[in-house]
Amino acid sequence: MQEFDLVVIGGGPAGIAAATAASNHNLNVLLIDERSTLGGQIYKRVGPGFEVKDSIKLGADYLRGEILIKSLSKSNAEIMLETTVLSVEDSQVIVVTADNKYDSIKYKKLLITPGAYDRPVVFPGWTLPGVITAGAAQSLVKTQRVLPGSRIFFAGSGPLALAFPAQLSKMGANIVGIIEAAPRPGFVKIFRIARSLRGNLDLIRDAFFYQFHLVKSRIRIQYGRIIVSANGTDRLESITYARVDKNWRPISGTEKTVPADTLCIGYGFFPSVELFKILNCEMSYDESRGGTVVQLDEWGSTSLPNVFGAGDGTGVSGSYVAILNGQIAALRIAYELDKISEKTLFNLSKSIRKEVNLRKKFQKAINHAYAVKSGIYQLASSETIICRCESIPLKDLLPIIESTSDFSVVKAYSRCGMGLCQGRNCQRQVSALIAAKHGLDLGKIPGTTPRFPAKPVLLGQIADSSIRDEKYFIDEQ
Amino acid sequence: MTSSFLPGYLDRKENLADLPKVTDVAIIGGGLLGTALAYYLSKFGIEVTLLERSDLNREASGTNAGSFHFQIALHQLTKNLTESEEKRLSDEVKLQLDAAILWDTLEKELDADLGVHFTGGFMVAETEEELKVLRDKQSIENKAGLETHVLTGDEMRSFAPYLAPDLSGIAYCPREGHANPLLVGPTYAFRAMELGAKIRTNCEVLKIEPLDNASPYRFKLKTSRGDISCNRLVNAGGAWTAELSAQLGIKHPMGLSGLHVNVTEPHEFFLKSMVQHIGRRLTLKQTPNNTFIIGGGWPSRTENYPRRYSNYWASAAGNVAVAVRVLPILKDVRLLRVWSGVWAYTKDFKPILGESEKVPGYHVAMVPTGFTLGPMVARTLAEYMHSPANKNIIPKEFSVDR
Repeated sequence: MQEFDLVVIGGGPAGIAAATAASNHNLNVLLIDERSTLGGQIYKRVGPGFEVKDSIKLGADYLRGEILIKSLSKSNAEIMLETTVLSVEDSQVIVVTADNKYDSIKYKKLLITPGAYDRPVVFPGWTLPGVITAGAAQSLVKTQRVLPGSRIFFAGSGPLALAFPAQLSKMGANIVGIIEAAPRPGFVKIFRIARSLRGNLDLIRDAFFYQFHLVKSRIRIQYGRIIVSANGTDRLESITYARVDKNWRPISGTEKTVPADTLCIGYGFFPSVELFKILNCEMSYDESRGGTVVQLDEWGSTSLPNVFGAGDGTGVSGSYVAILNGQIAALRIAYELDKISEKTLFNLSKSIRKEVNLRKKFQKAINHAYAVKSGIYQLASSETIICRCESIPLKDLLPIIESTSDFSVVKAYSRCGMGLCQGRNCQRQVSALIAAKHGLDLGKIPGTTPRFPAKPVLLGQIADSSIRDEKYFIDEQ
Repeated sequence: MTSSFLPGYLDRKENLADLPKVTDVAIIGGGLLGTALAYYLSKFGIEVTLLERSDLNREASGTNAGSFHFQIALHQLTKNLTESEEKRLSDEVKLQLDAAILWDTLEKELDADLGVHFTGGFMVAETEEELKVLRDKQSIENKAGLETHVLTGDEMRSFAPYLAPDLSGIAYCPREGHANPLLVGPTYAFRAMELGAKIRTNCEVLKIEPLDNASPYRFKLKTSRGDISCNRLVNAGGAWTAELSAQLGIKHPMGLSGLHVNVTEPHEFFLKSMVQHIGRRLTLKQTPNNTFIIGGGWPSRTENYPRRYSNYWASAAGNVAVAVRVLPILKDVRLLRVWSGVWAYTKDFKPILGESEKVPGYHVAMVPTGFTLGPMVARTLAEYMHSPANKNIIPKEFSVDR
């Protein structure tokens, strides 16, 4: 069995930065990613069969990603692509590799940088073909240069609500409307964001360019509005939105319907916490960073020895913070494995930490301005499907929620969360219903027991006939 | 889902209502045994209060695969088949047969769809040695009155074409089948409530206090929701039976073992019958939701309550390998999730059932392979509690004080 000083799970900004830094400090590093190229979601590369002649034309993010990936390929870190992590147990990462074999890889230190996925938002019609997440639309554009539709409506909140439609529009997309749930930023908000600007000018520059592009293309953002329903029989034909109150609840009578063939949903992200949970790391809840997050110390260390985390998978803070935190974790790991002295650790981490704090200030101001409000959990009607894997409508869940505040009980009685996505789409929504019904704090509703595999895997890929079942006669036990 | 809860079942606000101060019978544990007992006692007109610390049917009763095991299985066998072992196995088959008769009529009894189907069960053998065990067990089963057939070669391949063609043989028992484990216990509880039983959830028994002769009641239970006194107490605590009995100084010859279970994504339905292995740890079935449930006794890691037992990767990889060996089509089906239930077993494999002679009024109802035997065992105990003079209903070797 192979053994590494450091195994990094996830080849996005945090993972790449950490693997590069650790390798440059003479650690024996392996980086694993399930996709065929590095970069994660933000720095996603074009798909196979495409050739990039001028990276600059693909935008600032593409270029940043290219620089990051280049520095990794110059290091001695080993890279395993198309490799899915199924579980972590006894200082071993259990994977299925590109050639369909399952394997375990031993580590001294583990860094998990799993990234985040789009926040699922449940409203009437959210499962109609034509309704997609911003991330899915982004992937289509980034890897295949394909636009998701010809009349695209964008509903979301946060900085992405600005950036993403601008990116799409640059590609020639026909954006028929953008709604942002938060109110138009007022003086106080702008002041707060401006105050946090020091050291974040590049971010504002990005935002400015996005805004500029939208204005140039005559695309108007409507603030204080939320998606109410996606309409159509077999696929999306139109969307309805409405003004919201301060808790993001639609104000009745203000609904407007617009024809559209594509609805992109971008209300922020949920960290992919599955591996942290399987390992039984201490978790906490922070809605502004995406909900359930792993608890980390200032070095990115989890509650378990030798297990670290960084990036949006540990709480959404954006790619800049992800890179820096990945580097800090790498330094700490190098120090714990006696590759650098305590003095070097502090000297090198000091300047990085300074930058993290500036970035975080900005992120906090943004999070404050665009914080998700409870109304986002109250958009479903009684017929709306909540669990899309098992097709369970809200009306089937309500009577169960009356008598229990335990999600696992709701799951056992309804099959909600038992499908392919294992609750990634429905669990928060159901927990919010439970919280509202029983007057509890959403963050205090326990989820289901964490179990492997982190991703579904073919039985043929993991079957291991070398493992025998000994001692099965009762007189041998 | 092919079966669903009775109308009104899921509206269970009554379970959270206040605890009565006194009751004739108090049952600790809201699993299959506890709920079934509450039903059968209520039918006799006996006043019952059932106390469950979390929610009904949440442990082994609701986390098992819902199979009826009537054939002699691997875990019952000893290495060498002596005459006394044959007698024990024959007794066990007879017990299973009684259970089969109860399951035949349970949906009618409870007037509910419980997903009961008698779709047969396979026991497969890979080696010639294992085939011999199939034949030996068949002769014990047939003598005890359980119909089983052993098939080999082309006969086997045409009867079960999806099984690996190179198996040395299979036993087939037409009586085996399954019910929906998520429905049986809750339906018993629902019908018990209709008959007047009080079911209380989120109610943990913290202490059992025996009362002296001056009191009109025998036991006082201190619970997380207040005190309740009772004449007769039943411990139906499943895996926690021994823990509860220890409070009264009673020890049970039982152990706990975490069992690993795998569940796959749905696949077009084709496997009507459950599949087990006579020489390796395997139970395998396709559910009405079209998923496959694969288990058979692979270990999982012990954890303290309320944390659930956690899983070993090796158990998944090993268990799945046996399943793919027997049913090759499975190799292209995806594993979605694993889980683990706690299996409570007795060292002699017999139920612990009846009233304690040491502590009169104290009853225990605990049985290994609890899903198959649970309803029958509960009914037997209810009959005894209805007419305690009739001591012979419960076999001596099930004694609570053994």
